[in-house]
Amino acid sequence: MRRPDSALLLIGSPKPGSSSSASLGTYLQERLAARGIATETVVLAKALKTDEGTQALLGASAAADLVVLSFPLYVDSLPAHVVRAFELIAESRAEDAPDAQVLGALEQPRFVAICQCGFPEVEHNRVALEICANFARTAGFDWAGGLAMGAGGLIGDRPLRERGGLLRSVTRALDLSATELADGRPVPAEAVRLMSRTAFPAFAYRFVANRGWRAELKKRGAVTPLDARPYA
Amino acid sequence: MTPTARPTALLLDGGSDDDPTLALVHHAIDETLTAGSWDVDDWCLRRETIAWCAGCFGCWVKTPGMCVHTDAGREVAARVARSDLLVYLTPVTFGGYSSELKKALDHLIPILLPDLKKTGSDTRHPQRYEHVHDLLAVGTVPAGEADSAEARTFRRLVERNAMNLRPSHWAAGVVEGGADDREVRLAVGALLGQIGVASPHTVMPVSLAVTP
Repeated sequence: MRRPDSALLLIGSPKPGSSSSASLGTYLQERLAARGIATETVVLAKALKTDEGTQALLGASAAADLVVLSFPLYVDSLPAHVVRAFELIAESRAEDAPDAQVLGALEQPRFVAICQCGFPEVEHNRVALEICANFARTAGFDWAGGLAMGAGGLIGDRPLRERGGLLRSVTRALDLSATELADGRPVPAEAVRLMSRTAFPAFAYRFVANRGWRAELKKRGAVTPLDARPYA
Repeated sequence: MTPTARPTALLLDGGSDDDPTLALVHHAIDETLTAGSWDVDDWCLRRETIAWCAGCFGCWVKTPGMCVHTDAGREVAARVARSDLLVYLTPVTFGGYSSELKKALDHLIPILLPDLKKTGSDTRHPQRYEHVHDLLAVGTVPAGEADSAEARTFRRLVERNAMNLRPSHWAAGVVEGGADDREVRLAVGALLGQIGVASPHTVMPVSLAVTP
């Protein structure tokens, strides 16, 4: 498969600023750029708010040789706005698709997904990545693999390089992926394995996270308890 | 379910205006439940403005149990908390739910507690409410695709949802486009039968695939 000239990063977090999904995707994108690949980033939640943004998204996804989606797991799946982007991209690509004979001679652009969740186990992400693979096939992309990460809270919405050793296996997974993708190959199995390694024991992650929610509640001055039942 | 009250079913319809098969499914479920003395809370999501979940977690740490935003998205948790049966209706979209359905389901976060708790081999969020509801998910797929990769992913997705929402009973199935009213009623009867809702229809048509 030929080396990509351009890579488009789609950030699937609904947060307007920094996010764990943006941190993961941006790290990979920087590694691709370092290998001479032209890169572009679209924040889906922002793009889909306007017709201009939506058209720019569709244009960018039609032009890129490699599309990377980085998103958080939402209720076992992709966030609604990412599903909306999938619907629009698939529809647009179906309208613009060349006939079967021409298509056979063309190399399809490739699609990669990175999914992270707040649970320590990566298994939660499996179905969401299946959905991405189904989308890629339907929309005329070559599925180049998915990377699943658990304990996404460890990123803390900060750039990966600031997280140091805690996320070493994650950065190694992305380094490896960038090397292979830049050479026209899919995400390697070793990267999938490294990405799925939890850097923090699951019990400790749960303990820290549960304390964190209570601290956040206090910080925000909420007057109701964490386990309130407003609709009981 | 409270034994003295009529049970309530919340129908979350994530279909579009041009999905006649899903419209038939919707009608058959509504009619069967109503005939069985259920109160049906019928919510057509394409006619509703629900902003995408902002991922702010305000529903956990600012106004616990309630979305901080005041559009119809806030109603999702309230209506789910008060229902005995949740029904998802959707075109199977790359193996998942349509964006119309998902815009509502992303607002389920407030019915969970933020705590992480080990449950079996996985970590999950505990339920905010003790009240347990059943879950039925029905998707439509193009004709001949009841056993496609997308249909299989759909069933796995509903299974994952069931692991997290922990309904007493759940069922998932897909109905192929072009199924007629009789086939749809049989399919709906079979699915409702799986979750213990009586229906006069019990034979499964060939265009239906049911899980588990």
